[in-house]
Amino acid sequence: MNKILLVTRPKYDDGTEYLSYYAYLIIKDANKFGINNKDFEGKKVITKDVLNFINKKDPNLLFINGHGSSDSLEGNEGEILFSVDKNIRLLKDRIIYARACHAGISFGKEVVKDNDGCFIGYKTPFSFWIDEKRSSTPAKDKIAALFLEPSNEIINSLIKGNNTETSNLRSRKMMIENMNKILKMNKKKEPGAMGWLEILWNNYDGQVLYGNEEISF
Amino acid sequence: MSEEEDKKISEFKDTALARIDVMPPNFKLSVGDKGTFTKEQLIAHIKSCDETGIQVIKMQMNFIRALTSGQLMETLNS
Repeated sequence: MNKILLVTRPKYDDGTEYLSYYAYLIIKDANKFGINNKDFEGKKVITKDVLNFINKKDPNLLFINGHGSSDSLEGNEGEILFSVDKNIRLLKDRIIYARACHAGISFGKEVVKDNDGCFIGYKTPFSFWIDEKRSSTPAKDKIAALFLEPSNEIINSLIKGNNTETSNLRSRKMMIENMNKILKMNKKKEPGAMGWLEILWNNYDGQVLYGNEEISF
Repeated sequence: MSEEEDKKISEFKDTALARIDVMPPNFKLSVGDKGTFTKEQLIAHIKSCDETGIQVIKMQMNFIRALTSGQLMETLNS
């Protein structure tokens, strides 16, 4: 296994555009810290290319962005990257963070079965609010940041050398901090606050870790 | 969906609508793999109780459950 971060970040709808931007922030940091990484962006998230890379370069950390289901993870335009019936054995012994929906229901459990890998993901839809006034510059969308920064923290923490348990807890701590920030906004009569809190709570409640809690990048 | 789940969805439909109704108009919600929706689109989905609407109602149900059981505040104060 090699110390390589693999990132898939398709962008073909509003949701994946935001996920892709936030994943790009991770790539920027990885480059800044001299971490070996491979960025599959947009239309380049092609299953056969991703699988070839995993087979050849044996990356130990995979950050999969996009859509998913209870038993699969998707790439560009809904193409299945991995599923419980296809390619899942290729993921064994690795750290997988899937910023996608529902993969925490079945896929995540299967991927760590009988091996030393770890899966962090969601058993519910990973959701977030977007401020349309800022949607062309996600960097300036402070509301979306409340949801996406704690999610990025999982990978931030891993690439700094923390293990999966610590990284998951750091992300959860950040979500709690942000939920408390939202409560303060609610006290100041911010009209969207309870709506934001509800969705961030669901992400917090839905975030799961399966497998090896002591594995690190 | 079971009859019991159907009943719960109906019970929470109005609170879900009320929650979305107070959102400022410039916000959109990205709901997992269902897509990204404006306030008006969310209201339409919730009213029709389609897949997206049910997903939004379930998120509301989960949140209310956490609020009323004390789990939310316990977590936020941890």
